Amino acid sequence: MAGVLSERKPFLLLLILLTLNLGLMSSRVRGTGKGSVLENTIQGVASPFLKVASWVARGAGDLWGAYVDLRGIRAENLRLHAELDALTPKANEAEEARLELDRLRQLLDLRTQVPSPSIVARVIARGDAGGDFILTLDRGTRSGVEVNQPVITPRGVVGRIIQAASGSCKVQTILDPNSGVAAVLQRTRVQGMLIGEGARGCRLEYVSELADVEVGDVVVTSGLDRIHPKGSILGVVTEIAEGEGLTKIVRIRPEVGVRSLEEVLVVIKPESNPTQETR
Amino acid sequence: MKLTRGLLALLAAALTQGLLSHYLPSVARRCDLFTILVVYYGLTRHQTAAMVMGTGAGLVEDSLFGAILGLNGFKKTLLGYLVGTVGSLFMLNQTIPRFGILFVATLIDPLAEMLLSLTLGQRFLFPGISELLQQGLGNGLVGLLVFWIAARVP
Repeated sequence: MAGVLSERKPFLLLLILLTLNLGLMSSRVRGTGKGSVLENTIQGVASPFLKVASWVARGAGDLWGAYVDLRGIRAENLRLHAELDALTPKANEAEEARLELDRLRQLLDLRTQVPSPSIVARVIARGDAGGDFILTLDRGTRSGVEVNQPVITPRGVVGRIIQAASGSCKVQTILDPNSGVAAVLQRTRVQGMLIGEGARGCRLEYVSELADVEVGDVVVTSGLDRIHPKGSILGVVTEIAEGEGLTKIVRIRPEVGVRSLEEVLVVIKPESNPTQETR
Repeated sequence: MKLTRGLLALLAAALTQGLLSHYLPSVARRCDLFTILVVYYGLTRHQTAAMVMGTGAGLVEDSLFGAILGLNGFKKTLLGYLVGTVGSLFMLNQTIPRFGILFVATLIDPLAEMLLSLTLGQRFLFPGISELLQQGLGNGLVGLLVFWIAARVP
């Protein structure tokens, strides 16, 4: 009998367990809806663990959410960077166009001030002959450009045309060592000859030792060279030194930044004896 | 020691299933950790241990997630007995047979519930084929993962 029971032990246990479960089920089906002692006990034991696990999972979920948000922010950051990269050239182009417009507007204003006909020309090359002191413009004889016509900007004198082809011309700037412009100190009307010194600027020659010259004096064209209209700004006195003999050495810083010029005004027929200074 | 392990495994299954049902309900619908636990016991322990675990797991499931106390207990006990019997007759320690047992165990669950519901006069909505297949696949894959992890737990 004991051997049979031992052999049947699993099956008997199955029957007992199934009966137990059926009993629980039937009591619940017939019951009032209140939980049994067993059910309440299991819930009582498991609930604190579930609460803690839920709390931990919620924290992990929040952490994960923050991580996902960070990833989203990173992706958005990358996207915005890409957009910025794409927009930067456009913004630069717009800024360039705006600056060009400003320059051209200034040139136009200057053109109205200059009594002679003039044309706007673009600098297309620099330093073909003699370093940065020669500029090549995109206008030539077809546009009315001729040798010895003055080239100016709203800030002052650039130089003069030394060579004119049909579609382009060369400008000898006031920085060129071979250039000479008849000049006058605006304040004291002391006259002299402005000679280019290359990258160092210019110097005013033939200024008497007794002349009244101060640092900061403005130098303008005198018009005596019959090339540049009278009164155009050339530069500012930066240094005065004792020269040889009876003259002074007067260093001038040109007003026009020759190295950064892009557009200039070529005066086609300069007024031989203008009466007003442009400043 | 075995009892402690069993209780811990049951607790872990209950907690994980609870968290899954709360945070990943779509996963929880396709994965019944209590069934997996009973199958694990049926394939790796004695038949009686599988049945006891089935009853325990089923009652815990009923208490925490079920409507009728004893319904899952009945199903899981029966499952433990069947898997334990099969496990004692055949060598089922390879991946594919284990997956097969897990898959079949998933199918037994609604069948047993349907029979019980009919017996008790309760309504039962049998899940669709697609849902059953998804549950079988989910239980199979997660079950294999559980087997793999359990084999590495000292």
